[in-house]
This record gives sequence, structure tokens and C-alpha cells, in this order.
Amino acid sequence: MRGLKNPLGIAALVSLVFLLFMVVLGPILWGEEAVRTDTMALTQGVSAAHPMGTDGLGRDVLARVMAASRSSVGLALLATAVAVAGGLLLGALPAVLGRRAAGLLNGFVSLVVAFPGLLIALVLAVVLGSGGRSAAFAIGLASVPAFARLTQTLAASVAGRDFVAAARVLGVGRARMLFRHILPNIGEPLIVQATLGAGGALLAFAALSFLGLGVQAPDYDWGLLLNEGLNRVYVNPAAALAPGIAVVLAGLAFNILGEYAAQVFGGRDTIARAEGRSARPVPGDALIVRDLRVSFGPAVPVKGVSFTVAPGERVGLVGESGSGKSLTALAVAGLVEPPGVVTGTIEAGETAMVFQDPMTSLNPALRVGTQIAEVATTHQRLSRRDAARRAVARLADVHIGAPARVAGQYPHELSGGMRQRAMIAMGLMGAPRLIVADEPTTALDVTVQKQILDLLREASTTSGAAVLLISHDLAVVAQLCSRVLVMYAGVIVEDLTTERLVAGPAHPYTRALLASVPDMSADRSLPLATIHGRMPSPAEPVTGCPFAPRCPRADERCLTAMPPFTSASGGGGVACWHPVRETGGGPVTRPDEEAPDEEDPMRRTR
Amino acid sequence: MTALEFHGVRVRLGRGRRAVDVVHGVDLTVPAGTVTGLVGTSGCGKSTLARAAVGLVPLAAGRIAPAGGVQLVFQDPYSSLDPRMTIGAAVAEAVPRRVRDRAGEVRRLLDLVGLEPEHAGRLPRHLSGGQRQRVAIARALAARPGVVIADEITSSLDVSVQGMVLNLIRELQRELGLTMLFISHNLAVVRYVSDRVAVMDAGRIVESGPVDDVLSAPRNPYTRALLDSVPKLG
Repeated sequence: MRGLKNPLGIAALVSLVFLLFMVVLGPILWGEEAVRTDTMALTQGVSAAHPMGTDGLGRDVLARVMAASRSSVGLALLATAVAVAGGLLLGALPAVLGRRAAGLLNGFVSLVVAFPGLLIALVLAVVLGSGGRSAAFAIGLASVPAFARLTQTLAASVAGRDFVAAARVLGVGRARMLFRHILPNIGEPLIVQATLGAGGALLAFAALSFLGLGVQAPDYDWGLLLNEGLNRVYVNPAAALAPGIAVVLAGLAFNILGEYAAQVFGGRDTIARAEGRSARPVPGDALIVRDLRVSFGPAVPVKGVSFTVAPGERVGLVGESGSGKSLTALAVAGLVEPPGVVTGTIEAGETAMVFQDPMTSLNPALRVGTQIAEVATTHQRLSRRDAARRAVARLADVHIGAPARVAGQYPHELSGGMRQRAMIAMGLMGAPRLIVADEPTTALDVTVQKQILDLLREASTTSGAAVLLISHDLAVVAQLCSRVLVMYAGVIVEDLTTERLVAGPAHPYTRALLASVPDMSADRSLPLATIHGRMPSPAEPVTGCPFAPRCPRADERCLTAMPPFTSASGGGGVACWHPVRETGGGPVTRPDEEAPDEEDPMRRTR
Repeated sequence: MTALEFHGVRVRLGRGRRAVDVVHGVDLTVPAGTVTGLVGTSGCGKSTLARAAVGLVPLAAGRIAPAGGVQLVFQDPYSSLDPRMTIGAAVAEAVPRRVRDRAGEVRRLLDLVGLEPEHAGRLPRHLSGGQRQRVAIARALAARPGVVIADEITSSLDVSVQGMVLNLIRELQRELGLTMLFISHNLAVVRYVSDRVAVMDAGRIVESGPVDDVLSAPRNPYTRALLDSVPKLG
């Protein structure tokens, strides 16, 4: 088990064993001794026979504390069950009720959640009468609002997702929607909260019993023992200490379990900085990557990538999802997070990064101008006023009208294209030698896409920075770049000029990819060309060429030996045993022109 | 065979003073058994129109026919499938009650979209993006709709996978004689699957007609701008 390797996992396991031991065996092992009165040993201090002393009736305190485990923990769990049941009911109902009823219910929960829980518990305990059971209900009911609020928030976030909308379009009923679609998808955070809540209930319960509102004698729990012990705290401090320690330990155990559950469900892993990147101001190339490998345990999404980017050169890195192109870009920018391991050498000058979604890469709480200026105040030690002035100048450089006004706005006030311009302006605050743009136009419209590509070209021409553009879209790459690197299953399979890409690439994969792009002149009476089969996953061991199983030109050698990357005389190169030599003509044969052979990888798929 | 008709459809989103008209009086007819492509930039109201047609968004004015029997295939196959529900259960949920042999129907639908019967027992996370989109299509077809609306169904897929899904959509449409509104921002994709095309800008239909006419001789300046910005190879 992976969880047992981390300290929290071990602590959680120990806590669970400890709790179970106390709850199951406590009353069995110590139950009799706990109620045995000994008139010869009333109110005694610590001794060998009674490690924690005795109480007013001569009963052993330690035995009573141990035996009280079951009732204390059991009642806390009962309280938690009440809280969870009530909270789920109140919290999930608004998701399936009509708008009016949901609004009323939400308003009620908001009102009650404002009261302190313990206060409600005290009032309820008095109202419901004394005794353990009613105290458990009091604490449980008092925690219902908090739970209801959490459920409500979680359910609302799930209710906004597409699959719930899809179910509504299909006419799925309210109850089914709740039980099949909403509740299963919010279960994990609720379990975490319930476990942590159990710890809280335990403490609250001890408090109630201590105040005399909980368990009543002759029954006993830790709170009541604490109450009894505290009366004689100057005579025998151990009698008060023992139940106190028990409460603390059990509360701690619940919290550790909850923390562990949160870690397991939420994937809350510790994040450390990535390694494997040396930033140095190189006089020669803008970027040198040698034998770059990125691995996540047994999976190796990037398997030895080498390339260089000359100063001012615009290079496109294309591939399908899973080809390793984005990880290559992240490695170049030094942004691969553990557990990812980066090896190989990367030498790059000052690098600016432009991401796919400018909404998530800009801080929504900061004004655009402040964020852009921050680069200069932290890296170039400019005064705040100078930095702000430069930020406005850069916003003007990326053709934002009224740059001073935009600098004072928040990211959400800008359109997607404007945000992407702001990101590029941020990159231009320094003097970047390389701009890495990872799918910078994927989230944008075609009309805006063209403007952003033009802007990147202009930025690279005026600042002399090289561009590494990562994209799945060959047409986008062809529009901006002079050279294209094609990635497949973690390796670069072809390095070619854009002219060459258009005229006819040498690698069968590049050709197949090109053929599958529908363009404005494609024959509509024919099905689109597709690539049969799928890319090997990063964890699959590949002998031979990774594209061989899908390749129409593959033979025995392709399946057994990986073709080396061979450089062509006029620059560029290809990793293929049987590259296509001739130039010109259509990229690949259309599917219908080939015999409808089952083995034909370009066949019409269905 | 049912035609899909929008008559003076107006959609208002938000409440009170902050409410905005997202769709301003759209009149559009998708003739029965044909495909109409709907293009436009993001935020032009095309997805809102789709949501209105299946009742996910209320109308402020106008009328959409038919009132039922319209299914929507969503853009993102990663969020449109319940992550906790097997493929088989997701498709079965959409099969009408009157169908007796539900398991057989699920098998038939999966086969229709080119998935193996074994896929029925798997969860969405075990499937690729293209496979998930096939499931979403199977689920929409399970309800036996007269009209299907496809909202950017290939924009989150890779080009090689996009081709398979587009080929599938074309074949299914022809085989089943579906009436389809095919929404996309990609003109080349729309051109490939549609008989007619409608161009939407800022909540209004600015041009519509047979696909070849509109794309080869656009009359509206916005349509022309849209065509000019399509990135081309070479």
C-alpha cells in the first residue's frame, strides 16, 4: 500500500487500531473492575494497585477510563450520524426542489449556521432532557447546519456540471438525480468532514457531560469522569488527567484519520520545486534541449527529446494529446511538478511563458497592471512607479487600446483575447530570449486567434526573442512558425520546415496527421481520413517505432527496432526506417482509394 | 421526421437589472432529416440557443418546436459523463421505459457508435476522449430523439480523433435520417457535415443558406471576416 509509506498514513493506521482496541476491548477487559467498589480504598492517590488512583466509591479510575471508551466514542459517533443524516437531507434537498422551496431552505440553513454550535447543543440538551442518548441528539442536531451548508455548496457545484445537465435533458427524475448523480460525486469530501466532525463531537460530548448535561450516573463517560476527577484535582490530579488524556488521544485519532482521508481523496500532496533546468544567459542558441526525459514512476511521457532553437527562430512543437509536447514545454520552463522527474539538459536564456487559459494563469484578485508590474519590481528591482509605467507601455505594445485603463482592471473584466495579450505583455516586461507558448489560442475564437498569432510574431521580431509554440493544430503552427517539430509517443519523429510540411513530410505519421485535418477544400462526399488504432500510453514498453502498429509502411524491422533520428542534409530530419522520399502531391492517399483491407490503418473507421 | 424550428427566440440570462439578452429574436429552421451548421465566435449565443432548445434555459420570448424529443451532445466528454456511472448504466438511463430488452438495446447502441459490448462495464475514466464522445452520442441516440443538437462536439478532441467522430456523426445522420443542428466555431468542420449553414453574431443570425453558397460567396461582412481568419496550411 502506497499510503503506508507516508507518515500520515502510518499515524492514521495506528490511530484506527488504537480506537478500535479501546472501543471493542475496553469494556470487556476493564468493565468489571470499573464498577467494583472497594470501601477499603476510597479516594486514593496513585499507587501500584491503582495507577491512576480510585474514586469516591473506591473504583479504579484507570479501569473506568478504559471501560468508558465504548460509550464515549459510541455516543460521539451517534451524534455524528445524526449530524450527517440531517445535514445531507437539508443540504441535498435544495438541489432537487423547486426554486422557491430551495431558496427558503437555503435561507433557513444560512440563518441557523450563524449561531454557535455549542450554544445550540446546550439549549437542545436542556430541552431534550438528561441522558447520553439525548445529549448525542443535541450535539448531532447542533452540527446539522454546518453539515447542511457544506453539502449544499458541494451539491451546487456538482449540479452545475454538464453530466447533470445531460441527465436533465434525458428526463431523469429528481430522486434519481440526487441518488445516482449528485450524492456519489460529493461523497468523498463529506466522509472527510464527517470523520473530522466525529472528533469535534467527542470533545463537545465530553464538555456536555462535564457540565452535567450529558451522561448521568451510574452511567459514565469521559466527560463525567473528568467532572468527578476535577473535584479532587488537588488531592489526586491523576484522576482528572486520565479521562482528559483519553479525550485528547481519541480526538486526535479522529482528526488524523480525517486528515488522511482528505489526503487520499483530495490528492493533497506536498508540492516541491522541479529540478533539471539551468537558466543561463547563453550567447548562442535561445534554447538547447538534450536527451530530455520526463517520467512519472513507470510512465515515461517524454522519452529522450533533443532540439535547439536559434535566436529569434519560431519553432512549432506539434503532437496529439499524450504525445508529451506540453510536458516538454513545462520542462523547458522548469515547471514540471513532483512526482515528475526531469533528466537531461536544458539550457535556456530568460524565458517567458504564455499558457492556454489566461483566466487561470492570471491572479483574479489582482489588477492587470499590478500583476504585470510585479515582474519588474521583483526581478528587475524597479521602483513601483517605474514598473507601473513600463507595464502600461507594454500593454500598449501588445495593441491594447487605452492601456492605462486596462491596467486598472481585473482579469475577469477582460475578454479572453485581451487576457492573452496581457499575458504576452507580462512576458515582455523583461528581455526574454525565448517565449514558450503552450496552446495560446486554443481557448480563443478564430478571429482572435489570428490576432494573437500575429502579435506573437511581432513580439518575436521586435524583441528578438525566439518562440516555441506548442499546439495540436498544424494550421496554427504553419501560420506562425518557420520550423516544426512533430512529437509522437514521447519522441520527436520529424523536424522539418513549414514549407516542407505543406509540400509533403517524410514521416508517415506527419502525413497521416496532415490528412486528418478537414480543410475548406476537402471533398465532402468522402469520409475524412483517420488514423486507425491509438498512440501507445507512456507506461507501455515500446520496442521499435512507436507508430509502427498504425503505419501503412511498417515492416518487420519497424516493429523490432526503434529508428534513429537521422538529420537531413538541408537541416531537419526524420526518425523512420521508410520515410516518404518524393515531394509534392497530396499528403496521403484518401481512404477510399485504397483497398478496403482490414489491416489498412487509414481505413474508414466506424 | 421532425424539423427543428426557432421562432422569434429571445433568451435573457441573469436576473433583475443585471440581466442581459444573449439571444435576440432568432428565427431559424432546420429542415427535417438535414444538418444545419451553426457557426459564430464564442459568446455569440450559439450554445445558449442549444440549451434553450432542450429546455435547460428558459425562453424570454418566442417558440421552439418540437417542445420535446430533442437531445443535446455536449462539448466536453470529460464533464458530460457522470464519473461514477458505468458506460452501460449511463446509456441505459437514457433508454425509454417501454423498451423491454434494455441490455440488448445498450449493446445495439454501443455497436452503433463503434464501441465493443465490453465497454458497458467500464467507467468513463478508462476511456479516451474520442471513446467518451462516442458514449455521449450513443446516450443521446438512446432516447430516440427526432432532433439532435451537437454543441462543439469535436473541439476538445485531437484532430485524428475528430475525424472519426465526424465520420460517425455523418453516417449516423444519414442512416437514421436525423435532423441535426451542428454547432461549431470551426468552419471546415461545419462545412464537412452540414447541408445548410447559419452564421450567428452577437445573438442574431446574420446569414444563412446552403453551405456551399454561404461559404463560397458570403454576403455578410462578419461571415467574410470569419472565413478570412481560418488558419490555412501553406
